Amino acid sequence: MSAMVNLPMPMRRLRTSLLAAVLFGIACAGAFALLLMLRPRVPGDVAAAEVLDTVLLWNSLMPRAAIALICGAALGLAGVLLQRVLRNPIADASTLGIASGAQLALTLGLSFSPLLADFSRELVAFAGGFIAVAIVLALSWRRGLDPVTIAISGMIVSLIAASLSVTLVLARGEYALSIHIWGAGALNQQDWNGVISLAPRLAIGGAVAFLLLRPLNVLALDDSSARSLGVALHSARFGILVLAVWLSASVTATVGIIGFVGLAAPAIARLCGARTTGHVIVAAPLTGAAILFLADCLTQLLGSGFSDLVPTGAATALLGGPLLLVLLPGVRSFSDVTANADAVLRHLRRPIAALATLAFSLTLVLAVVLILGPTDDGWDLAGGTLFTDLLPFRLPRIIAAGGAGAMLGAAGFIMQRVTGNPIASPEVLGVSTGGGAGLTMALMLFGFPSPPVMLFSMALGALAAFLVMIAIAARSVFSGERLLLAGIAISAFSMAIVSMVLAQGDMRSYILLTWISGSTNRAGSFEAWTALISLIVLTAPLFLMMRWLSILPLGPNLSRSVGLRVLPSRLLLAVIAALMTAISSFLVGPLSLTGLIAPHLARLIGFQKPYHQLVAAILIGAGVLMVADWLSRIIIYPYQVPVGLFAALIGGPYLLWLFGRKTSI
Amino acid sequence: MSGVPQLTRRTMLSGTAALFAATSVRAQATAPRVATLDWALLETLLAIGANVVAATELRQFAQIAVKPEVPETTVDLGLRGTPNFEALRFSRPNLIFNSNFYTWADDLMGRIAPVESHAIYKLGESPYALAERVTLAIGERLRLPAGRRLIEDLSVRLDRYRLRFAESDRRPVLPINLGDARHYRVFGSDSMFGEVLNRVGLANAWTGATSYSATAPVGIETLASMPDAWIVLIPPHPADAYRALTGSAFWKALPAVREDRVVTIGSINPYGALPAASRFADFLAEGLIRVRNG
Repeated sequence: MSAMVNLPMPMRRLRTSLLAAVLFGIACAGAFALLLMLRPRVPGDVAAAEVLDTVLLWNSLMPRAAIALICGAALGLAGVLLQRVLRNPIADASTLGIASGAQLALTLGLSFSPLLADFSRELVAFAGGFIAVAIVLALSWRRGLDPVTIAISGMIVSLIAASLSVTLVLARGEYALSIHIWGAGALNQQDWNGVISLAPRLAIGGAVAFLLLRPLNVLALDDSSARSLGVALHSARFGILVLAVWLSASVTATVGIIGFVGLAAPAIARLCGARTTGHVIVAAPLTGAAILFLADCLTQLLGSGFSDLVPTGAATALLGGPLLLVLLPGVRSFSDVTANADAVLRHLRRPIAALATLAFSLTLVLAVVLILGPTDDGWDLAGGTLFTDLLPFRLPRIIAAGGAGAMLGAAGFIMQRVTGNPIASPEVLGVSTGGGAGLTMALMLFGFPSPPVMLFSMALGALAAFLVMIAIAARSVFSGERLLLAGIAISAFSMAIVSMVLAQGDMRSYILLTWISGSTNRAGSFEAWTALISLIVLTAPLFLMMRWLSILPLGPNLSRSVGLRVLPSRLLLAVIAALMTAISSFLVGPLSLTGLIAPHLARLIGFQKPYHQLVAAILIGAGVLMVADWLSRIIIYPYQVPVGLFAALIGGPYLLWLFGRKTSI
Repeated sequence: MSGVPQLTRRTMLSGTAALFAATSVRAQATAPRVATLDWALLETLLAIGANVVAATELRQFAQIAVKPEVPETTVDLGLRGTPNFEALRFSRPNLIFNSNFYTWADDLMGRIAPVESHAIYKLGESPYALAERVTLAIGERLRLPAGRRLIEDLSVRLDRYRLRFAESDRRPVLPINLGDARHYRVFGSDSMFGEVLNRVGLANAWTGATSYSATAPVGIETLASMPDAWIVLIPPHPADAYRALTGSAFWKALPAVREDRVVTIGSINPYGALPAASRFADFLAEGLIRVRNG
């Protein structure tokens, strides 16, 4: 590197950029030529086939190529705008929740008001995307739009939006085919309408971006310098943000979610030598266009006949995880999320009494959810024969939910302790979705696996996710925000795998959808016993590891200095946490956020010692999910909301409150 | 060879059936209260006049399967994926019919009433033949002669349609369900619709197997590869998708469209039993004949 610095850099960079551009150009041209040559032929009568072939070429293949270029460019542009305006190298329509917000809005539109969705898909998508990004920014506002906070809030908003969409799909039954496809953006075209509507938008976006070049350049500096240069900071930021959201929402409205192109394009452009804002603004859309075009050609070439191998959006989403990991070193968190991890707000003078109160409340909750419920003729306290009749339906699901909640509480506790990070949790660290990737693999290998096989594959997936993350994070001495970002990367990668199978729209996707939404409705004795036994077996050893759990949050150096072998202790705890996560996500789905809430609440109440915190986290976790389970089965009786989703809807606002508080978490 | 014993059995059974038909008025009051999670079994039970006290997703059923109509008194159990067992318990069924799709619920429901399982959709087996067997079995179990009648009527009707279609253009038929403006699902030879096509002597334009149901979504371009076929659109489909598709240059250039070989029929449950098959056959006959007569 030092030798290169002596050479004239601009020339060298220009050469790299040109070379990269030429290579991209050749790759695209080559792929398209191959596609044209190898495109499937229409059978039958020669003259008719000729006519159809021409129609296909000009009304399907060509507009598809054009839309790939346009969407790629639009997403690339949106990505670079978002990254500049938020000074965040991992900002993108996918990480900020814009795409899933737009998707949710369109799904809602389709389900409840077809007329509205019909009137302007774009407007509906924009509204959804904008609300999502507004929530994400509001969440991270107090932390000065810190990149790590934004990424985490973005991921959680995405998760909640996606799970709401999933619930709507499930509620509509199997006929929501268009949502399946659309969730993993497919680029198929049957005329030029998509191109005609998107091309001018891209042109306007490009033009406005050029006009905003100066404010953009200035925005890359810090706020005070920017203000002193005379840029109306907030309005410039807001304007650019709106432009970026509008561009990505338009793409989502036209072709669906195309994952992570906005993240990849500026990164690759920079890798190829683009440095100044001006360069990146030109290079990123071009790179984005090339990436999406190549991905689309590839999925068409690899598919048989006229069918694609996978939806293009799912294919590009696979890029997301690895890219985030590559970009990791460049992310500087300026508001250190880990610093005040152990700031206890108040101290409980009599923790044992508080624990006893918690345990008593849990018993009370158990009694209420067992007895009280709606019947055909209004509310009823079940007693006598009715109680014994209903017990086989109520008890297993309550135990499954409670057990899963307890395990999630414990797993979240371990993760927060091990990472010294107060918002580490199975959901945030990508361990839950890793389990989903494992389940997906099992579905692909076995078709319809039995529950134990499903459980085993999920445990493997969760463990793999956690181990990959430990490997990555260990290289940067396991620092808190590295770990969170690595978790988001793993989450993105796992979800890309899941959505490829989801896009198949068959029985397996139905199983995955059911898993994502997390319902305890099917819980029988197998699930109840699984929950109970694994809770006991996995929690018991934790009480022998209390010394580790109290030392590890102090950081690796301090831990080493008191004679703790950091890596093995972390590994063992990680295995336990991964197993707990996998089993509980098998029972209540991956989204519940209980693993975040329970340990956090325990600390907030004022439990200080790890031992007390662990017990409190377990009790709170169990209570939260039991209540969520009860609410989920009564709220739209006889229809039921999946409990995992319902808990996420409670956990989301909790997180919002958490981030919104002025003091540190 | 097999005709003789079968005839004897059939005669005997229809004799028994007639006997029960005579006492059907009295039977109604004491008819077993039945429930099911599966839509194919639900439509079978309703079609043969069983006393269905509870079933799943009735609102959606009324929109997609449309017929047979569900009585007001039948309790809705919620989504098929997450049936509400407490509501099932409150409806006090004497007998629960389940299918292989919901085997996981057998143990739970067994605590409410005896569960009997029937499979209509099994990998590598004809859903039509299985539907006939299941209808017969349920009819016998509930002592409802209408079961056997349903099978025989449909069989006769399909034979009649076969004769009628024999005089037609004998082009293959492509039964599809539109997903959005660019994707559709197709029903192969091993689906219920595929079976009906086979039985009325029409070829399915989609030659691949589709593992008894519909394929994964297929790109709309594939329609070009079947220029000879009749395209039969099976709703429900999103209104905007239908409009966007039928307005596109590609659609208008398709031979089937230019030669007026597109029929939109009524909504049918794609995982149905004999009532769905019967509905499809009727729509097909009516649709193809209506189009041919302009």
